[in-house]
Amino acid sequence: MTDRAMSGVRVVDCSQGIAGPYATKLLADAGAGVLKVEPPQGDYTRRLGPFPGDRPDPEASGLYLHLNTSKRSMTLDVSVPSGQVVLKKLLAKSDVFVCGERTSTLRAWGLTYDDLKSDFPDLVVAQVSPFGATGPYADYDGNSLTAMAMSTIMYNTGEPDREPLVTGGEPGEYIAGVQLWIGILAALENRARNGGGDHVDVSMAEAAAAADEYNAAMYGFQGAIRRRYYSRHIFGYPNDIMACADGHVVVIPGAGGFPSPLQPDTVSPMALLFENPDLDKDPLFQQMGERMVRWRDFEALVAPYLSTHSAIEIVMTAQALRLPFAYVPTAADLLVDEHLAERASFAHVAVPGDGEATVPGAPFKMSETPLRIEPAPRRGEANADVLLNELGYEKPDLTVLSDQGVI
Amino acid sequence: MSQPLPLEGVRVIDLAQVFAGPACTRILADLGADVVRFESPNRLDVTRNLIITDNDGLDHFWHRASYFVIRNAGKREMVIDLAKEEGRDVFRKLVAGADVVVESFTPRVMENFGLGYNALRQVKPDLIMCSLSGYGQYGAMRDFGAYGMGLEPASGISSITGYRGGPPIRSGLSFTDPFSGFVGAGAILTALHYRRRTGKGQYIDLSEQEAAMPIMAAALLDCQMNGRLKERLGDRSEWAAPQGCYRCAGDDRWAVISCSDDAEFERTARAMGHPEWADDARFSTVLARREHHDELDALITEWTSQRDHYDVFHALQAAGVKSAPVLDGKEVLFDPHFRARHHFDVVDQPLLGKRPVQRHLAAKFTRFEAKARRPAPLLGEHNDEVLREIGYGDGEIARLKEDGVIAEKPNLPVPPQLVSMALKLPYDRYIEHRILQALEPDYREQLGIAE
Repeated sequence: MTDRAMSGVRVVDCSQGIAGPYATKLLADAGAGVLKVEPPQGDYTRRLGPFPGDRPDPEASGLYLHLNTSKRSMTLDVSVPSGQVVLKKLLAKSDVFVCGERTSTLRAWGLTYDDLKSDFPDLVVAQVSPFGATGPYADYDGNSLTAMAMSTIMYNTGEPDREPLVTGGEPGEYIAGVQLWIGILAALENRARNGGGDHVDVSMAEAAAAADEYNAAMYGFQGAIRRRYYSRHIFGYPNDIMACADGHVVVIPGAGGFPSPLQPDTVSPMALLFENPDLDKDPLFQQMGERMVRWRDFEALVAPYLSTHSAIEIVMTAQALRLPFAYVPTAADLLVDEHLAERASFAHVAVPGDGEATVPGAPFKMSETPLRIEPAPRRGEANADVLLNELGYEKPDLTVLSDQGVI
Repeated sequence: MSQPLPLEGVRVIDLAQVFAGPACTRILADLGADVVRFESPNRLDVTRNLIITDNDGLDHFWHRASYFVIRNAGKREMVIDLAKEEGRDVFRKLVAGADVVVESFTPRVMENFGLGYNALRQVKPDLIMCSLSGYGQYGAMRDFGAYGMGLEPASGISSITGYRGGPPIRSGLSFTDPFSGFVGAGAILTALHYRRRTGKGQYIDLSEQEAAMPIMAAALLDCQMNGRLKERLGDRSEWAAPQGCYRCAGDDRWAVISCSDDAEFERTARAMGHPEWADDARFSTVLARREHHDELDALITEWTSQRDHYDVFHALQAAGVKSAPVLDGKEVLFDPHFRARHHFDVVDQPLLGKRPVQRHLAAKFTRFEAKARRPAPLLGEHNDEVLREIGYGDGEIARLKEDGVIAEKPNLPVPPQLVSMALKLPYDRYIEHRILQALEPDYREQLGIAE
């Protein structure tokens, strides 16, 4: 077996959904031994899909297959004492315990950090919950939507006269997952150097708020409160998605796109792109502030060009002029994208009963220890292996646990 | 009492600018690493000049930018001209004693300086180097200029963000920037873990577009499995109904509500004083609620619009329903829960006084705190200090200064007032156009950080 980045780290993961499983996926793809402990009915992402041909099948849920690569799975009801006994035997052999429950639930199960720390002094207990383990909202429930609502990002996304808009794809869950992953790695690093396990407590709301670019800073440094304005940045327009002949592009002038007072005799790259040097004399090209508030006039100014050119023509021409324009691909576009294919940005995993699926590959490329994405496990496929070979149970014990619905 | 930190003694050389890279190294600094930033005297980090901060029109504006401060608190800084051979010499000497190099230029830049990974590992064989770029170090688009506002769309996320029936929309902030910065911090910790065990360094190629793509997974899989492109759903969900963002009492106040199942909807109906909704055939099942979502939204809005968004939040959460107030940049600073959990640390920033800086690592630990331990550096503040640490004497340092290799002041191509005039409106116009809600002159008193 080749040496992987996280070889030898043993993780027991009781979390479900997106945040916790994404954190342990990043450990598992890097070589950590991750045992996913699912409730007997399975992680709830097994019910979320998408499913091949829209036929619900807990073994073929796309979200589950994506989030649980490279892990093993066992089923165990950790909400009952018989399950907790088995879990604690697993924790005794583990470095990291990941859970996605609120503290009130963990307390009922006797599985909080405080419950565990004396028996397992070197264990890293990593908990991700909607609002965190402590504080006035610790018992409140939530999801990506509530996290994005608390983050200030949502308040500033969307149109001024409509409701704030949440970003698609459950980003609050993924941000929290990445923050939990960092927290686990930091706690392991600290254990290696300074000794002792720890409690890693990640609030989804705070994780999303950590991604705030400058909303809180504008108040804390200036007393200014930002309001959503078509999702635009306070410091520049366009920097925005605009329609073109065959879809959309992101129009970004960058630092040197519009006319520069330093080079009064040079045609600006934006005017070159839009094939009209006279645009440089327009106040909409000369003054960002004017553009920002008279954006409809600016749109009218550039629409004749954008509406008659394809996204590829526009972006390639703009990039050649050193304007950092970008594409607005759909899922279908990404799947056939040449740049992503050249980078092997996707991985391919087997879908039980349905061939193969393309899932996002390694989110970063390591030269010595590249991440490796192995298929996600079937529900409970490691039950016998773990109980008999690793924990020393006998076959009749399995029957009892199974009959009682513990596994 | 000072607790030992996980990255104490780890030195990070930080060539990153703007948002993604600095968010990455901010986390490493908060975990105890000695992060030494590099800036060029000829090309400041643009966030030192970002408008709509209180650096406008003032002396030394580059020391005063809020955006720069929140992302670079806890780091040290040198200003070195890497275009000069002597500057690159200093840089290589520093790398020889460093553990990690982070950079966020477009791919050709470090190679052009002769400071790519293969060159640097000659001076430091177990070096960990992480390059954060828009599209990665290889591939057809590697040389594309890339700004954060283009990379969220480029990852596909904007195609699934927007009002129902409307066009794709970007988030109101470039959130894939910090997201990829966070991923970079985890990648570096992973590499440090491997190095501690094996003594081997490595190179990390991080493309922001790629790092954000896992958020697209469900959409990518639905497209493959069912040939379907996900519709933009506004604030609704494929799984939960009702789910949405509802108007509350007050000017532009909102709360989100999400009901995952029938039981949660029944609790919602009861909390809103209408238990009969749960028995109404239009709303009794999740499929019925999806079918009649507009009607249900109107009924929910009747209730929420009479109430403060925090009252809606607490009443629903008390009833066991997922809800949250939609917070603006002021409210997040005053929220009692964020305060109780110290999401903002106060740093005493030269020229600016006490200022709140948000945590970049939201994880809380019992053995140490991951937080900003010092203010953000002034431009070139640690030139002399760091040079002495690597053995430069006073005479050599003075000569480097004379030759313009190191600096404490930028070489500005344009007077800052000119830049400011081209880039911003007077504040009253931002308020007039409702780009800003308000400017509160007494904000420091309100925050309890007045001098």
